[in-house]
Amino acid sequence: MNPPTTPTDITDITRTVADIAAGEIGGGVQLAADTDLRAVQGVDSVKMLRMIAKIERAFDVELEDEDVFGISTVGGAAALVEQALRERV
Amino acid sequence: MTTVVTGPDSGIANTNGHYDLDPELFGQFLDPLRKYSSALYESPQDTLAQAQEHKLHYVAGRLGLTGGERLLDIGCGWGALVLFMAREYNCRTLGVSPAPRQHEYINARAAELGLTDRVDTTVGHFERLDLPARGFDAVTMLGSIVHMPDLGEVFGRARRVLRKGGSLYVSESCFRNATAREAFDRRAGTEFVRESIFGWGDLRPLSALVEGAEQAGFSVVAVDDLTEHYRRTIEDWLANVAAARDRLEKFAPGLTDQFTRYLEVANAGWGYTTKHYALVCRNSR
Repeated sequence: MNPPTTPTDITDITRTVADIAAGEIGGGVQLAADTDLRAVQGVDSVKMLRMIAKIERAFDVELEDEDVFGISTVGGAAALVEQALRERV
Repeated sequence: MTTVVTGPDSGIANTNGHYDLDPELFGQFLDPLRKYSSALYESPQDTLAQAQEHKLHYVAGRLGLTGGERLLDIGCGWGALVLFMAREYNCRTLGVSPAPRQHEYINARAAELGLTDRVDTTVGHFERLDLPARGFDAVTMLGSIVHMPDLGEVFGRARRVLRKGGSLYVSESCFRNATAREAFDRRAGTEFVRESIFGWGDLRPLSALVEGAEQAGFSVVAVDDLTEHYRRTIEDWLANVAAARDRLEKFAPGLTDQFTRYLEVANAGWGYTTKHYALVCRNSR
């Protein structure tokens, strides 16, 4: 994904994060911004890490360790991405 | 020639037979040398086979091999390193591992390659082998110390079998730090790899390996971060496993998914919870 086309609006970020998370979980899962990802069937710490790695790559950001291991919702991840994007500018 | 050393002991962990599975099974997804540890990629175009050879030349460089050295490989797998160093560097090599079928395979390969006079193997646990003091110029451990509970014993013995000025090369997957170890040691993914794949394995932070080397009296001469190389190695293995599904399922139904799960667990953690380091030590002040 090219940085110029990377969404920076929280709504767009949330949509992209939800798409990445749903793609990783598979099975056409529907995720709301406040869905507890760790409670979704088939999601474990490995899936969470794979999701976060893909999100970091998609937005070209590196989230803080203490945030990474605390992420539990799409909205939470999107907020961290938005913050990281803002701090990068 | 293969020597067999067995018998119970404390401080020794038995892996659950993963490494004693049919060597042909591993031939389905490893490179032609059947090296079951990280490769080293020098360019984006490198194949797995090329990268595994680069890695072995890199290990030789880190050990300062110039030709003809006596080399001990602890946890020799299917002999990738002992056969390569004998062939490429004219070394006299001894491979040690507890899995008998690995030795049958290595001996057959050594005969095919005309290396039987330079390649020996011993079936057993390094921690209880009686090897000659100062009998080796170089000792290697690629991804094997993770299966050995007593680091003091391992590093102490490694130093005793090395001549003065000899080198030890250890590469291992490590927890990224002590915090990651506490957070992840008992998580499902880690447990799965430890219990389902290997039977016993203890990832440690690099600092624990450095401490073991220091306590044994080694000088630490280099640490290299090989994490990205292992990530790419495992991506190549995963692609090979997927391509070999039909053949793998003939060895044991469900094997493809089990290997895939194991390799995906390993690759998910790199950088976040785990690192892969090479530690080079010298038996000198």
